[in-house]
Amino acid sequence: MPTPVQMPRLGESVSEGTIGAWLKKEGDYVERDEAIAEVITDKINAELPSPVAGRLTKILVQVDETVAVGTDIALIEESADVPSESSPEAPATAPGPDAAPVASPAQAKTPVMEKAAARTAAPTEKPPTEERQRISPLARRLAREHGIDLSQIQGTGLNGRVRKEDILAYLEKQREQPPVAAPSAPAAPKPAPTLPQPAAVSFEPGEDVQIIEPGRMRLAIAEHMVRSKHTSPHATAVVEVDMTNIAKWLERNKAAFKQREGYALSYVPFVIKAVCEGIRQYPILNSSWTEDNKIVIKKRINMGVAVATDAGLVVPTIYDADQLTIAGLARKVNDLAARARANKLTIQDMQGSTFVVNNTGVFGTIISIPIINQPHAGILAMNAVVKRPVVTEDDAIAIRYMMYLCLSFDHRLLDGAESGGFMKAVKTKLESYGKEIDVY
Amino acid sequence: MSAKVTYLEAISQAIREEMRRDEAVFLLGEDVGTYGGAFKVSAGLLEEFGSERVIDTPMAEAAIIGSAVGAALMGMRPIAEMQYIDFITCGFDQIINMAAKMYWRVGMPVPIVVRGPAGGGTKGGPFHSSTPEAWFFHAPGIKVVYPSTAYDAKGLLKAAIRDNNPVLYLEHKLLYRMPELREELPEEDYVVPIGKAIVRREGEDMTMITYGAMVHQCLQAAQVLEREDDLEVEVLDLRSLTPLDREAISASVKHTNKVLIVHEDALTGGVGAELSALIAEDLFEYLDGPITRVAAPDAPFPYAPALEAAYLPNAAKILSAARELAAY
Repeated sequence: MPTPVQMPRLGESVSEGTIGAWLKKEGDYVERDEAIAEVITDKINAELPSPVAGRLTKILVQVDETVAVGTDIALIEESADVPSESSPEAPATAPGPDAAPVASPAQAKTPVMEKAAARTAAPTEKPPTEERQRISPLARRLAREHGIDLSQIQGTGLNGRVRKEDILAYLEKQREQPPVAAPSAPAAPKPAPTLPQPAAVSFEPGEDVQIIEPGRMRLAIAEHMVRSKHTSPHATAVVEVDMTNIAKWLERNKAAFKQREGYALSYVPFVIKAVCEGIRQYPILNSSWTEDNKIVIKKRINMGVAVATDAGLVVPTIYDADQLTIAGLARKVNDLAARARANKLTIQDMQGSTFVVNNTGVFGTIISIPIINQPHAGILAMNAVVKRPVVTEDDAIAIRYMMYLCLSFDHRLLDGAESGGFMKAVKTKLESYGKEIDVY
Repeated sequence: MSAKVTYLEAISQAIREEMRRDEAVFLLGEDVGTYGGAFKVSAGLLEEFGSERVIDTPMAEAAIIGSAVGAALMGMRPIAEMQYIDFITCGFDQIINMAAKMYWRVGMPVPIVVRGPAGGGTKGGPFHSSTPEAWFFHAPGIKVVYPSTAYDAKGLLKAAIRDNNPVLYLEHKLLYRMPELREELPEEDYVVPIGKAIVRREGEDMTMITYGAMVHQCLQAAQVLEREDDLEVEVLDLRSLTPLDREAISASVKHTNKVLIVHEDALTGGVGAELSALIAEDLFEYLDGPITRVAAPDAPFPYAPALEAAYLPNAAKILSAARELAAY
């Protein structure tokens, strides 16, 4: 039995992916975790590691084809023979990022050419699904009512339009065959990404306006933002935090830390640390509301960190963030941000987050109300730390380093009591640091 | 056992029987008395009912309809004949501003029937061929009926005379003496209720929605489609345009999932436009193909026989539109 390789979910909100290139050919032997394909999604481009070792027997999805997450894209025969049986040059023809140094300039060219060859070698006849399928309104409704995947049906109407008789014939055929024999039967209807409806206003390109076709990432962000606002009733809580001790400590120690550790230290890891402690006290912040109306509390705290890149916003994950020290968190944040900007995030980086901290303060905001990264319970935006005159406990006026923290939370999951308690816990933690701070 | 009667005789019968039944019913129009009507619809009525109930009028449609409205307000039930329905435009104001609005203005019903010969195919040219239902179909306050058979011609006219609202009764002159339409009518009194369509032919594959003379063109086309294309076409005769039988339309469209609308009136803003909108709004997800219309072009009715033949919708045009829709 060959093992199917599926289109991975490269990020929480990603529903489909495109094959950018096959790094292996049919018949090639692949090691477990060896890169077999480049996958392009709305969020990132990544290399797809093989789930098993074996022979790549069948490529099911060709270059430039886009398929839903979970779709089988290739088959690997695990019981296949060892590499020696296949082309001895196989490893050299498909260098992953960690490929061994090449021996000669001629060899160095190979991957490029191989890739080009792979592209041209791909079957040129376009699958019928490439073209927009024609479907009558009635056929569309019948398919919906019977849970039929319309891509399974070849229409007999003009230009291949799927119409009533095609659906009825399909249903008739299904009735004749027991459902077991029809693996393609009620495939869950593909959640077509619903894009935000453009406003009723229409613009013509001209001197006054420029019209931009948004890229995949912009479209994905747009879709996710609209969906999130539709899904979660957002409520917001804002607290003011006195960051004076942290700010002054950073002023004194930042440069030395950077020199010693090789990466910068900022307010962000302090806030992540405090948020993790807040979540420990209020685990409901680390939960999800499921489609069948259940609340799932996640025990691991995997912190998503919003990173602005040239292409748009990405939110890679720091796994088990609550287990790390402030220095450890700083290292992770630096690493993820650097790789995000270099487009080097992995599939793993883009999955599994349970909460998000977003530092809009770098853009100078003092208050910003974020939108929840689905399916989380909340998202916390940290803002610029600014010096302000503050009335202290003994009724004096002092200059303090102040910051607003803004929490957007899903009001289905929690109320003001939990969100307020959580924010208070975060604030208390951040204000608890003395003049000397141990970040290790 | 009565003899078979034509569409025209059915209309005459209805007027005569209603005038006998109710003294408030009277007929007025051009040449309806001494001459017996341009098409002889009212032949013999003057002799039976006298010149107070069968009134020859001047050639003044506004006066004919205006007098009818006034008489109706005083409790009469007038039938105002347009010698050709084209001339109804001269009485437009009396229908739209008086007859159709009176009940809403002062609460007094205006039980008039305005009737007259409509439609082409008789080489009557631009002033004697039109079928003006769309103007009145658009106007609130007036009912519009358009019979296609002798039985309906009689039953709908009786219903129109008994109705307390103004009713525009359109009779297609091509059907007046058409031999195929002769039929035996019930001896007893009957009406065809206004607002009820009828399925003239049952089918699975497509519904033709039509009325008036086009019912017969659709039935011809349906026969060919059955014979040559193995298609079973349902033909729905609306009979009443206002009010529309939306239940019958819905039932048939849900059954066949494809709709071809056929009318003799011009395409733009015609009854078919409203039918299309209703079906698209209410029954979109029952449609297996685009709502299709066959109608006259947006041009005045031509006089030259060759142009008239090209202008009018007919079975051949219906056939080709139906085939295209079936293949969709």
